[in-house]
Amino acid sequence: MSTLPRIVIVDGPVPEDFAFGAAAASESDEVGAELVFDGIVRRMEADRPLRALSYEVYSPMAERAIEELARAMIAKHTLASLDVVHSRGLVPVGERSMRVVVRAAHRGESLAATGEFIDRLKKDVPIWKLPVWG
Amino acid sequence: MRVRVLLFGPYAVAANAGHIDVDVPDNANASGVLRSISMGFPALAAMVAGARLAVNHSFALDDDAVRAGDELALIGMVSGG
Repeated sequence: MSTLPRIVIVDGPVPEDFAFGAAAASESDEVGAELVFDGIVRRMEADRPLRALSYEVYSPMAERAIEELARAMIAKHTLASLDVVHSRGLVPVGERSMRVVVRAAHRGESLAATGEFIDRLKKDVPIWKLPVWG
Repeated sequence: MRVRVLLFGPYAVAANAGHIDVDVPDNANASGVLRSISMGFPALAAMVAGARLAVNHSFALDDDAVRAGDELALIGMVSGG
């Protein structure tokens, strides 16, 4: 049994202690793997020092596209859940710009789903980042 | 008719604007809008080839009709994450 994806856009960095809340009881019984992926702004981009990345999000298309993609990953990889929080606006170097939390019965599905989800997000979801050079 | 096309990321930087107003035939479709942008906005011409048009928050197919009042957006190379 899977739960609906939770999609959140936050202004600025994703807080280190950001949490989506407790999983449903029926989901927890089936979950043997929980994978948390954090995207972090690197200090260097193309050999130039960065100060930050500025994220632009085309709402509500971006949220809808993330939700459709999350639903597709849940179905394809038989996940219990896939939740996403993504930044909008300025994210300084070293801060988080995205967190993806995937729960599944086994590690294989969660690892495969996380990789595919991020690859497709970077291709199909209308979010852009612009460098703010240091 | 004249339609407004929203711009984001490097497309907004290239055009130095968050949107452009584009003149298209009344029976225009998505590919026609992209063609009009390419011809009418030299700063964007080279970037339109790899872009898609979104109509009312969904990616449009080439033949999808565009109507006055639709929300159009030029969605080029994205870079979230």
